[in-house]
Amino acid sequence: MKILIVEDEIKTGEYLRQGLREAGFTVDLAHDGQEGLHLALEGGHDLLILDVMLPGMDGWQVLTQLRLRHKTMPVLFLTARDQVEDRVKGLELGADDYLVKPFSFAELLARVRTILRRGRGTVEATTLQIAGLELDLLRRRVSRDGKRITLTAKEFGLLELLMRRQGEVLPRSLIASQVWDMNFDSDTNVIDVAVRRLRAKVDDGFEARLIHTVRGMGYVLEVPEPDA
Amino acid sequence: MRQRLSLTARLTLLYALVSVLLLTGLGVLVGVMMDRHFAEQDADDLRDKLGLIREVMSTSPDIATLADRLDDVVHNHRDLYVQLQRLGYPVYASQSPAAFHFPAVDAAANRQMVSWQYGNANYHGMCSSGRLADGGRTELTICAAIDTGRHEHFMQMIGRSLAVYILLSALLGGVLAWWVAHNGLAPLRAMKARAQAITGQQLDTQMPVASVPPEMADLAESLNAMLRRLQEDFRKLSEFSSDLAHELRTPISNLLTETQVAIAQPRSADEYRDILASNAEEFQRLARTVSDMLFLAKAEHGLVLPSRERIAIEDEVAALLEFYDALAEEKNIRLQQSGSGQLLGDRLMLRRALSNLLSNALRHAPAGSVVTIDIAQQDDGSTVRVCNAGSGIPPEQLPRLFDRFFRADPARVAGESDGAGLGLAITRSIAEVHGGRISVTSADNSTCFTLWFPAQSPVAG
Repeated sequence: MKILIVEDEIKTGEYLRQGLREAGFTVDLAHDGQEGLHLALEGGHDLLILDVMLPGMDGWQVLTQLRLRHKTMPVLFLTARDQVEDRVKGLELGADDYLVKPFSFAELLARVRTILRRGRGTVEATTLQIAGLELDLLRRRVSRDGKRITLTAKEFGLLELLMRRQGEVLPRSLIASQVWDMNFDSDTNVIDVAVRRLRAKVDDGFEARLIHTVRGMGYVLEVPEPDA
Repeated sequence: MRQRLSLTARLTLLYALVSVLLLTGLGVLVGVMMDRHFAEQDADDLRDKLGLIREVMSTSPDIATLADRLDDVVHNHRDLYVQLQRLGYPVYASQSPAAFHFPAVDAAANRQMVSWQYGNANYHGMCSSGRLADGGRTELTICAAIDTGRHEHFMQMIGRSLAVYILLSALLGGVLAWWVAHNGLAPLRAMKARAQAITGQQLDTQMPVASVPPEMADLAESLNAMLRRLQEDFRKLSEFSSDLAHELRTPISNLLTETQVAIAQPRSADEYRDILASNAEEFQRLARTVSDMLFLAKAEHGLVLPSRERIAIEDEVAALLEFYDALAEEKNIRLQQSGSGQLLGDRLMLRRALSNLLSNALRHAPAGSVVTIDIAQQDDGSTVRVCNAGSGIPPEQLPRLFDRFFRADPARVAGESDGAGLGLAITRSIAEVHGGRISVTSADNSTCFTLWFPAQSPVAG
């Protein structure tokens, strides 16, 4: 997966490039609109991360130019301004998502993966399975190593999200938004409590712990490395 | 572009113009009346003269005698011209006959006065007929005329005087108008001087109200109201900046210290990871504080509702209770919802407002208690009442509860679980953006927040 970042702030650009590279993407970085447009027209990227405020040619113009030339790759806008009109403008121009600075990297990564996944026509699986943990989506049942686990509806939703995106660190805001449809930052530790309770049901009494806290980032469900 | 005239100049010109028009009109009227009066006087005069001549005629036996006697009469009246005609031919004419030229004897015959011009002079004339004292055999046409030069001279004199008078009046009217306008507008100049002195630091300046005319008092009052609003907004803005700086200083200083201590000497990878994770958490809190502050700033500057839809409040509360369910259970607190109601507004903002109230209630409710959420629909709007048991809030703190960064317990610092102290301020802003309000009551053992939303939300933005 190849991503192009157009960001004039040097440090932000570098950190984004590093972070996305380490998350397994191939990353190009441009520092202004002209260069970004040029690279986007040449490069065959799967996703464009575009800052709105750019010297010379701003993010809106880059996107407009791209769409004029029938480049249909998804675009995620980054902006320091949070104005409803901006949001609307971005979406009207055909942007796929919109992140307001300051954002957390975990949030960006999760959104990038969501957008890239959207493109692929995934076959709807009826069961999800990781290391003995099995989630039956049709019958809404969970079992681990054959042992039935009883979950509330929201716990089921939370586990489904973690399993669908196994290996990805999910920030609390994304979990709140996806599972509870709470699309704002809450200053409470609701998510922590919910995850803790889910973990007690899913991991307690089993040798391998699947749900992990990544401090300062969020939560991830993955099979631990054997030597860790 | 044409230069715009000042109000004073306009008034001055208007007054001068009005004076000229009115006085000229009056002058013309007087002129016409006098003309008519003179004409009547002339007609009477001519009739008298004709009567006199007929009398002289009736005692004169022949034309020669008549001519002699008429010469005497005419001699005493310098402006009088007399002509006698017999069968259309002049038989007698006083003075220079060339100047005496009736244009239409027929028209004048029946004692009708006619007027004409001859040379430089104007004349009024009238004719009649009479018979000599010769047994009535000789009938003569008598015509008399008067030179009206004297009247004209008089009229010209009057006209000149009037013109001078009109000019003087116009001048005087203009000067008076200028004086009145200039004085009347003096308060405006005073206001201008004050307005020029107003800066961001001196918004407490007020326009004079008592000392100005009533029309301008309204203006001054409006300007004062505007100044007061600006002053209030300005104060809020300054407070906002200082609050922000103040609130950010502590966490930034913590981060700086922590980071500098960390790099002061070599540490293990795990230690670095811990420090970075702790920093990341702190940064997240900072980011949230900043976006909360921006939200508040926008709300205070007339945030437009992002969307407006009919919302069933009970559904939103139910969703929120589901969200807070685990947390409440963990703290052994029961959440209890009742009632229903509707409002027109933004769903995300409503959730945010209610979420803040719920998390606040959960934070302060003791274990084993119940947090109740009562929704009620009235004719004029709907209310949501969130109550929790607890130690209660001192009355003197109640009004300040919705202030930014206000914390009931000053010992607690930013970064603890109760956030930056913006939650209730945000909830109030959201209520106000919807045209509603929030209130709080606190007794010994329970605290209730009541959100009220009007049935008709404010004008669409």
